[in-house]
Parts: sequence; structure tokens; C-alpha cells
Amino acid sequence: MTNAQLRAELKRLIVTELNLRGRSPESIADDAPLFGAGLGLDSLDALQLAMVIEEKLGVRIPEGDEARAVFQSVRTMADHIEKARGA
Amino acid sequence: MSPRLWVTGVGLVTPLGIGVETTWSRLVRGDCAIRSIRLFGAAGQRAGVAGEVDAVAPPDGEPAAPWSRTSAMALAAAAEAMRGASVDPHAARVGLVVGGTTGGMFENEQVLARLHAELECRETLVQMLSHPLTATGDCLERRLGPFARVRSVASACSSGANALVVAASWLLSDEVDIVVAGGSDGLCRLTLSGFNALGALDPEPCRPFDRRRRGTSLGEGAAFLVLEREERARARRAAPPPIAELAGWALGAEAHHITNPAPEGAMVVSLIEQALARAGLSPREIDYVNAHGTGTPLNDAMEAIALGRALGSEIERIPVSSSKGQIGHALGGAGAIEAAITALVVARRTLVPTAGLDQPDPALALVHVPHLGREVPRVRAALSNAFGFGGMDTVLVFAEPDLTRGGRATQPRPANGAPPLPAGLGVLTGAAVFGVCGLLGSEECAILPERRFASETAVDPDVHLDVTRARRLDRAARLGAVAVQRALADANANADGTGIVLGSAYGNVDGSAEFMHRVFDRGPRAASPAEFPNLVPSSAVGHVSIYVGLRGPAFAIADLAASGESALVQAAQLVAAGETSRVVAGAVEPESDIVERVLSALFAHTPSQAHAKRADLAAAVVLESETEAAARGARPLARIRQLVEWRGGGRSALDSLLAPRTARAEVILSRENGGADEALAGTGWNPCARVVCAPALGESDALGAVAIAVAAGRIATLRVDEALVLGFARGRGFAIVLTR
Repeated sequence: MTNAQLRAELKRLIVTELNLRGRSPESIADDAPLFGAGLGLDSLDALQLAMVIEEKLGVRIPEGDEARAVFQSVRTMADHIEKARGA
Repeated sequence: MSPRLWVTGVGLVTPLGIGVETTWSRLVRGDCAIRSIRLFGAAGQRAGVAGEVDAVAPPDGEPAAPWSRTSAMALAAAAEAMRGASVDPHAARVGLVVGGTTGGMFENEQVLARLHAELECRETLVQMLSHPLTATGDCLERRLGPFARVRSVASACSSGANALVVAASWLLSDEVDIVVAGGSDGLCRLTLSGFNALGALDPEPCRPFDRRRRGTSLGEGAAFLVLEREERARARRAAPPPIAELAGWALGAEAHHITNPAPEGAMVVSLIEQALARAGLSPREIDYVNAHGTGTPLNDAMEAIALGRALGSEIERIPVSSSKGQIGHALGGAGAIEAAITALVVARRTLVPTAGLDQPDPALALVHVPHLGREVPRVRAALSNAFGFGGMDTVLVFAEPDLTRGGRATQPRPANGAPPLPAGLGVLTGAAVFGVCGLLGSEECAILPERRFASETAVDPDVHLDVTRARRLDRAARLGAVAVQRALADANANADGTGIVLGSAYGNVDGSAEFMHRVFDRGPRAASPAEFPNLVPSSAVGHVSIYVGLRGPAFAIADLAASGESALVQAAQLVAAGETSRVVAGAVEPESDIVERVLSALFAHTPSQAHAKRADLAAAVVLESETEAAARGARPLARIRQLVEWRGGGRSALDSLLAPRTARAEVILSRENGGADEALAGTGWNPCARVVCAPALGESDALGAVAIAVAAGRIATLRVDEALVLGFARGRGFAIVLTR
């Protein structure tokens, strides 16, 4: 899976798993902040995303402050997954 | 002056030991009972430790199958409390209130997981008799009763504390002489996996208020307190001297977030102030706080801020500790266990410590009791905090029995400015039903039983909701939100300050089955953190309070197929006791395969209920005090004239049933064959026409709430002057007389 495909898949997962009804995956920008003022997600969403990413994409998201860096945007998530898979 | 409520008995079952004295001596010594989990395998969980109660077993002579550890712990604690207070349930009107969240989950989670995969596994289903929250109260009634009334309440981790609030409201209304109230929750894989998924567990035994704290530890256990009015305890020759006074209490919903506390703890501050006001005490008289103190970074930070704000500069003097470092978080039992501990701290003039507190978090401006308990000259009064998922918070105040004898610092006043005992049982000002009939207000409810709706009709709550704001709400919460919103609109009433009591017979049984199937199938890391909060029996109440903005008293009621009637009766009792001036009461039952295929047969009161097709259904009414309704110029639909409830064969309770005052009166029933003929024989209601709700909507455990909405609608639209709603479920019944 290329980085672009990963980003598309992550956007799809964000919309379906977090039940963002009426929001299209394509409308989420690669670099848009996901939490707080951005997409309006919170810590419970981060936990759900981490669980889903581990299950569907086979990559474990670290806990705590490291997770915060990974969850900044779709791009940082895709980069983390790509790196974890390449390692 | 409102009567004093005395605690005359206490019973405790905790991971520290069975019985008050074992638990107490180990508490004071600072022993930690949090160890490697032995009850089940915890491989793959972030935390493999918890506080477990050893040697829990059903009592001798009871078959093992329908018992749960939750019920066995509750029995031991309630029996100890009743023994200590020399309560004879045959010699007085004794009520029982049980708080809890897990019920028989531990005993049933494997069966549920199998049922999720294959609905036809029949062989072990008798164990599911122990599953509902009501099973604990039913077991206690069998062993310790008879009880004049029994209530099962759930508000996540404040359930045990709210059981005491319900008890207090009953005693203030003088409807029972004595209440045995508390909570019990057994450890199970579902709660461990859920809190694990939320990252809320410390891998080590939890360290409340420590700067290294990383989460809570689960525990389990039960506590019951015997409460009675001072003058009745004095008149009862067998009564022991009081342990403490339950001097104040307050409960409310944060309406903020399903798992996270509001960071500044505004509701907690308000509740501490309200509870102190009710007690007639000031922060200067508080000598100890038993904190909720879970050990999660968020809770402890919020709680420290809230305590500081509510208690002002006195917080620099008042010792604060959390018992969770020793026994873990017993969830639905915690509020009762910690209330019992707080009462004992007052009685024994001995502070209990926070175990594991080696490095107090400098960010929390609290006076701690680290490691070891200690004697103090006096504990005049003490607070016990309990906060639950969905932001359902409760604060209790215990005081020395004589502390307020010479007059209180301030005149006690109940919450929300309501008068202490308003005249009348309350006014219904709004009603709504949502299901295959669509969304109906009170006027349309009036003719609901005359119509027939196909059970296959699609029920779509989302067309009535803001789907972005409602994204976390599961099916039950969505149905509930639609009905509650409509009922409030029907009443033209504001949400803020309004309470909510919703009935549900079995909680989210299908969701629990699916969750556990994933955990068993794929391991704890597959547990969904977003789904877990929806599995707490009070989840729909929490979600609805957040979505609609209800910040009054909030909890769920479980009473099998009479959950709707039970919720209204309890709501009216809260209003009558001045606990809240407006509350939405109802019931929610989403379509459920496991209820339809299994539980409906196990708990059927009439043959028509077993395996009957169930469709989504929610119904709610708005109930207000006469004062509140008059003050805001509300249009009354109907007034509550009388509430009667009974247990078991105690239908003699209906001997007190008031006869209808006019010939234009009806009996409104959920379903046929519920026992109405037998119950009504010889009463003034026997000749009245009967209206049955089930034919219109199909079978549902929420039909009782529909019957109440229908009755209110029929009175409001002048079809009748009075209506009797008669609700039955296995081993229990309710009669609600509504009038113009």
C-alpha cells in the first residue's frame, strides 16, 4: 500500500469507525489537525482509532505522548504506519 | 426541619475481607489487596492486577446456577448490615435499594459471547437468570425479605451512592420505616477489557493522587447501609445507637462527555455545595473527604480542583484520601463501599489512608493521609464522592449523629430551591412515544392504543437528531434521546436542571455479547474503547443527558417488564422528596435478539411475552412538582394521585388503592393476561374499561412507559377523568393512579 493509499484508507476508517455521519473521507485534508479545533475528535476517538489501526492495518500505535505526535494528522498517521511496516 | 437520617447498620465485603471488622482493620493498616487476577485469565490486558474478593459463594441450600458473585457479595454485606441494626423485615416496612452495573456479567459473559455467534445455544441458559441487575435484589429479597419495595439503580460508578440517595428520598417521604441500601459489583472480563481498552488501568496497583499515577485498578465488592429516621430508630427498641447521620447528599449530571470528567469539575463543585447546604453544614465542619480518587490522571486532577473550589481555604486543613489504592475501583459497588467507610471514619474517629501514595502530585493541592490510617480527636462530618461514566456524580455527607443537634449552621434546604415536601406527587406536563408508531406527542398518544402498527416498520431516530452531535450514541441512546427531546418539547420545558430516570429491563445485552465475543475471539486488544461505555446499564441515561443537556439527577432503573412503571414511580419519589423539581421518566428498549430469543422466555410474566417479536421502543413523560409547573405556567396533562408498588404475592398492597372518583375512568395496561383481573377484583377500578397497549406496538419491556404516556394523553384530551396504569413483571407490580 502506498502512502497515498494509506491516507485514503485512514480517512475512510476515521469516518466509518468514528461515525462521522455526513462527512466524506475526501473532505479530510492530509495535514488537517484531527483533534481539538480540527476535526473535533477527542481522546476516546484516538483510542478507538488506535484499536482499529492495529486490527485492520496491523500496526500498533504507541501510548501517551508518542500517540499524540502520531495522531496529529492523517499524514503523520500514514507516515508512522509506513515506518512501522518498513522496520 | 427535615428529619435526621441515621445509619444504624453497615455491612462490607471487599477485597480486604468479608465483614466490616476485617476490612476496617486492614484499611487502617494501609494493606493493599490489589494482586494478580485469579478469577480469570488476564493475558493481553494492560493490567493483570485487581482487587478480588476471595471465597464468594452462594449461601448454603441455594442452587449454584442462578447466583452471581455480585449477588453473593451483596447478600453477605446486606445480611451483616441488617444483623448489626437488628432489622426485622416482618416487623417494619423495610425497603431495599441495590446499586450496581455488572449484575451477573462474570457468570454470563461466555454464554453471551456464544449467543452472539449462535443464538440457538440453549443448554446453559438457566445461568442467565443471574444476569439482570434485578437478580441481586430478587436474591436478597428471597433470603432477607420480605421487603416493602425493592429498587435496582444504575448510574455507572456512582450507582452505590445513588442507592443511598434513593433510600433517603423514601425515608423523607416516610413511605418506609427502614431502608437497606447499597451496591454490589463483581469483577468480570467485560469491565477489565473495557477499562483496559480505555487505557484507564495502571499496570501496577493504582496510586491515587501520586504524581506517577497511570490509571485505576479494578476491584469488586459490596456494601449495604441500614438507614432510618432518627425518631423511628429511637422508637424501635432493637435499634442500636447510630453509627453516623446521613446528613446531606446531592446528585446531578455533568452533561459533558461519556467517559471524561469535565476538567474543572463544575458539577462536582455545585454538588458539594448543595450537599453541604442540605446538611446545614459549612466547609469548616468537614474534617475528612473520602475522594472518588480513581488514580486516573484526569479524575484526580479534576477532583482536587473541585474540592478546592467547593471547600475554599478549608481544603488546606481537611485530610483527603482514596480507598481505591487498597481495594481497587469496585465500580457500581464503590459508591456504597466508600460511603460505608466514610460513615465508619466519622464513627471511629480514625482516618483511612491512601495506599501507594509515595510521591504526592504537587499539582494537586490536597492534605493527604498517606500509607497509614490514624486516629484523630473528632471527625465531625465527612464527604464521600462518587462519579460515574456519563458524568453522573453524587456527593454524600456523613456527620456525627449529634453534630447538628443544637441547630445547624444553616437551615437545610434541598437542591434546586424546591420546597422540602411539595404538596402532591407531581404533575405530568409532557409525554412522547417513539417506535414503529413514529414519534408521537401527548395528544397522539391518547389514541395510540386504537391503532395498529406493523412491527417491521423502520424506526429511524437519526431523522430527529443532529447526527454529528449524536455520533457516539448507540441505538438505545438514540431512541431515548428522540423520546426525551419530544417529551420536553411537549411540556415546553427546559432541559437544564431537569433530571432523568430511564428504565431498561436488561441493559445493553446484545452489545455486551458482541463486545465479549470479540474479546474471547481475538483477545483484549480487540476490545472497542468507543463501544465499552455503551455497555454500562446507565449508558443511555448518560448519553441522553449529554445530548439533551439534562443536568439534574440521572440514573437508570431495572425492573424487568415493569421498568417503565418503576422509572416513573422512582422519579415521582424524587420529586416528592424535593430532590428535583422536574424529571423526565421513561423506558427504552431497542430491538434485541438475545432478549427476544432468550431473556424474554426466562423472565416472562405472561406467556405472550416469551419469544415475542420486539421492535425498537422508547417512551417518556415529563414530571414536575406542582410548584414548578405552576411557576412556569405549564399545561398539566395529568396529576399523580397515588402510587402503589408491591413485591411477590403482596397484592394486598392494592387494598389501599384509591377508587376512581368519576365513572369516566379507565385502566391502562401494557399487555393482556398480566394478572389485572385478579388484582382489580374487589377494587373500584374493576368495572372500568381497559385499554391495552401491546396490540398497537407489539411486545416490549418498555410498554409500561407507553401506558403512562397514553394515560396522560387520554386525561389531557378529556377522554377520561382518571386512569389507573397497572404494570406487572415477574415478582413485582406497580399501580399508578393519574387524575385530571
